[in-house]
Amino acid sequence: MTDLLPFLVIGLTTGSVYGLAAMGLVLTYKTSGIFNFAHGAIAALAAYAFYEVKVVRGLPWPVALLVAVVVLPPLVAMLMERVTRALAGATTTMKIVATIGIQLIITGALLAHYGAAGLTFPAFLPADTIELFGVYVGIDQLVSACVAALGALGFFVFFTFSPLGVRMRAVVDDPDLLSLAGTSPFAVRSWAWLIGSHFAAISGVLLAPLIGLDALLLTLLVVQAYGAAAVGLFASLPMTYAGGLLIGVLAALATNVVSGSVVLSGLPPAMPFLVLFAVLLLAGKRRLVDIGATRPTPPQPPLLGPRTARIVALVVIGIGIAVPFLVGAKLPVYANALVFVLIFSSLQLLVRTSGQVSLAHAGLVAVGAATFSHLAVGAGLPWLVAVLLAGAVAVPVGALVAIPAIRLSGLFLALATFGFGLLLENVVYRTGLLFGASGSLPAPRPDGLGGDLPFYYVLLGFAVAGVLLVAAVGRSRLGRLLRAMADSPTSLATLGLGVNVTRVTVFGISAFLAGVAGALYASQGHSATGTPFTSFTSLTWLTVLVLCGAARSAAPLAAAIVFAVLPAYGGGEADGSSGWMPVLFGVGALLVALHESSARRGRSHVSAEWPTGSRAAERIGSPGRAAARERVAHRDVDSAVRVRVGAAGGAR
Amino acid sequence: MFELDSITAGYSGSVVLRDVSLWVPPRSVVALLGANGAGKTTLLRVASGLLKPSAGRMRLDGVDVTGKPPHVLARHGVCHVPEGRGVFPHLTVRDNLTIQATGGSAAEAVERAVSAFPILGEKLNQQAGALSGGQQQMLALAHAYVIDPSHVLLDEVSMGLAPVVVDEIFESLAKLAASGCALLLVEQYISRALELADYAYLITRGGIEFAGEPGELDGDQLTAKYLGTPLRS
Ligand SMILES: Nc1ncnc2c1ncn2[C@@H]1O[C@H](COP(=O)(O)OP(=O)(O)OP(=O)(O)O)[C@@H](O)[C@H]1O
Ligand SMILES: [Mg+2]
Repeated sequence: MTDLLPFLVIGLTTGSVYGLAAMGLVLTYKTSGIFNFAHGAIAALAAYAFYEVKVVRGLPWPVALLVAVVVLPPLVAMLMERVTRALAGATTTMKIVATIGIQLIITGALLAHYGAAGLTFPAFLPADTIELFGVYVGIDQLVSACVAALGALGFFVFFTFSPLGVRMRAVVDDPDLLSLAGTSPFAVRSWAWLIGSHFAAISGVLLAPLIGLDALLLTLLVVQAYGAAAVGLFASLPMTYAGGLLIGVLAALATNVVSGSVVLSGLPPAMPFLVLFAVLLLAGKRRLVDIGATRPTPPQPPLLGPRTARIVALVVIGIGIAVPFLVGAKLPVYANALVFVLIFSSLQLLVRTSGQVSLAHAGLVAVGAATFSHLAVGAGLPWLVAVLLAGAVAVPVGALVAIPAIRLSGLFLALATFGFGLLLENVVYRTGLLFGASGSLPAPRPDGLGGDLPFYYVLLGFAVAGVLLVAAVGRSRLGRLLRAMADSPTSLATLGLGVNVTRVTVFGISAFLAGVAGALYASQGHSATGTPFTSFTSLTWLTVLVLCGAARSAAPLAAAIVFAVLPAYGGGEADGSSGWMPVLFGVGALLVALHESSARRGRSHVSAEWPTGSRAAERIGSPGRAAARERVAHRDVDSAVRVRVGAAGGAR
Repeated sequence: MFELDSITAGYSGSVVLRDVSLWVPPRSVVALLGANGAGKTTLLRVASGLLKPSAGRMRLDGVDVTGKPPHVLARHGVCHVPEGRGVFPHLTVRDNLTIQATGGSAAEAVERAVSAFPILGEKLNQQAGALSGGQQQMLALAHAYVIDPSHVLLDEVSMGLAPVVVDEIFESLAKLAASGCALLLVEQYISRALELADYAYLITRGGIEFAGEPGELDGDQLTAKYLGTPLRS
């Protein structure tokens, strides 16, 4: 027990900061209905702002602190409030895409500007240690923990007793009623965003000394935060703080258990995901209700008629066949792009056809890549068999995360897949199950077709087959069911189990395609590695696909070109997940999300020219006792008008 | 004076109100009648700013307030007691009253509400969601007492309540009217509403079919012709 005490203390100190961050996340989610995937990115931004002022500009640390936690958060909050307002009535998918876009903008910019390697964060609190319950604790850690705890407590008191806090709770209950009582829900939400951004910024500055200045790591603070939020069922603030402590302690204890094991070293960071996953599994549908859930928009009609579309498709395939003779040495770029056509098709199937968001897609592709190598090299299976089996293996892996989450709202699927992607990346990639400790496996090409040119045509074949498969799913009974789900929320309710089975089936098909794409990617590059398939990549893919949404069913092709071809002609980036590209994609996806939600609101606006039902309804010209009155002849009244049972009956 | 002029409004894709005009003169009680789904609630939502009309104008005491958000209209004296339970269920009664006071003194809000509905005084620290239906409705109605509204829009405040509670609610409405604020009343108890009303409007399928004094509406005929069942009161 005494051995564990130090870990317990460390766990509580970091957990306290997680708790504070999580409270900010839950507050903004509860009041606005928007789950902010960029919460951790805001924390990272604050930490980097501190670094910029203190280290780069050389100003004293109080100034840096002022900039990071006083000046910056209101700016962020203002942006978030505007975005929230513009997202009113948007689909769950677009709400998720919008904040992921913001996350990508912030994280991408930090990575592009400061580089991916971690920087040393300047310690600004005294690093001496004091003895506490027989354990030596750094004063800085103690101060962090206390600041976070005081912030959490102070906020709880404010939220419970102050007039503004009361209104924040009221906006959660019923924003319309609050506005009828003379308080603008938007104003209240602005305050919530302000507090939420402050909490994110403070936790970023407090955590950076502990985990170093690493944009990706800090961004993933949102994961600790949503693990904690899950403990509070995304609603209770005190439970959320407690959840933060729990996750801090679990992660610290896990560190103790796995110390010495390289393979398991990823377990502590995966803790929050395991907690989230447990909550999703255990908590019922009733207790995990997405506050911001709206029904999906039915898929848009295709841009072209079926005949024209077929001709265009043939022309595109023709161009695909001609590409090797046009692009010279850039052929590998186009071969890669064909793999991405497959990847984006599988993502399209989820996002556009069935309105689900997967943020573990890169993970599934990686699973396909590694499995392929194990099967083709390890087990010596024929190339094609190994490719198809790699796809098949990705299906149960995808189902593992999809099944518990899919019965809940789309938000929880996004959260679960995001966490799952991180788990794969941090824990499983380095194990023998996937890429092993060396991180790289050999990957063969098919016998006789191993040259760049013949293999290009193999990939073209797969890409065309994949696109056809996705189109066939869209047109099948499954596709019709999905459209029916989007059209009518009641059918969604009455179909019951059928809906979940449908969703899991679609998720499975999508995972299969992702796995096959992984195998092909590895084969094309002669080796299978997890490096190109991080969670950050998953986010980037999603934004690129959404960005190309205007191309409708050709979006996967457009996305593949944007992601894999354009960078090769631009600044020499490897692909769309490096350099400043993610920032651009983030901006684009955010704009698309905002545009789609305003278009959706526009559709729901009723035009005045709507055909009026030729009732003999007469306007009243003037008020008062001398008003012109019109008594409508009863022949004009259909018998169809019924009255509520209690209406007349109640008036005894 | 609250004037709605040629209002057209609706929800996603469907027009509910077509070219509806309705005036609420100062210090008067206006009853708004109509079958289920006729558009009464929709009209009140337009009047309080919850729903933006796609055409038409709204004027409050001569000032154009078309398209103003609800909190602005509320601060200009429009008090809307919505359909269903107009309370925040997870907040205490006291917190509900504090919010209704719109930044005014919370203590005064409680005092006014309790003098209108004494029962609320015993429940101040209870969650509003834990009150009985009638008590919740009183809490919602207290809004009209906590502030001094010029116009109160009431959407079936007596719905689903026991007869004694309905009596109490109607008494309080009469008091409210006597205190000088104008009421726009949507009620299922048609005859009681008409007793209270100076003017009545009948809305059918989103259009005004009748506007005038209650006396001109023959109660039996009204229910028989428009609402399908005879009135037994
Ligand atoms: N939020 C909404 N979205 C779409 N349509 C709606 C919405 N609310 C009401 N409607 C439609 O508008 C029409 C009028 O509804 P409204 O609630 O105004 O009727 P009402 O006269 O208040 O009826 P009731 O006596 O049942 O309360 C109905 O046909 C209804 O289906
Ligand atoms: Mg109604």
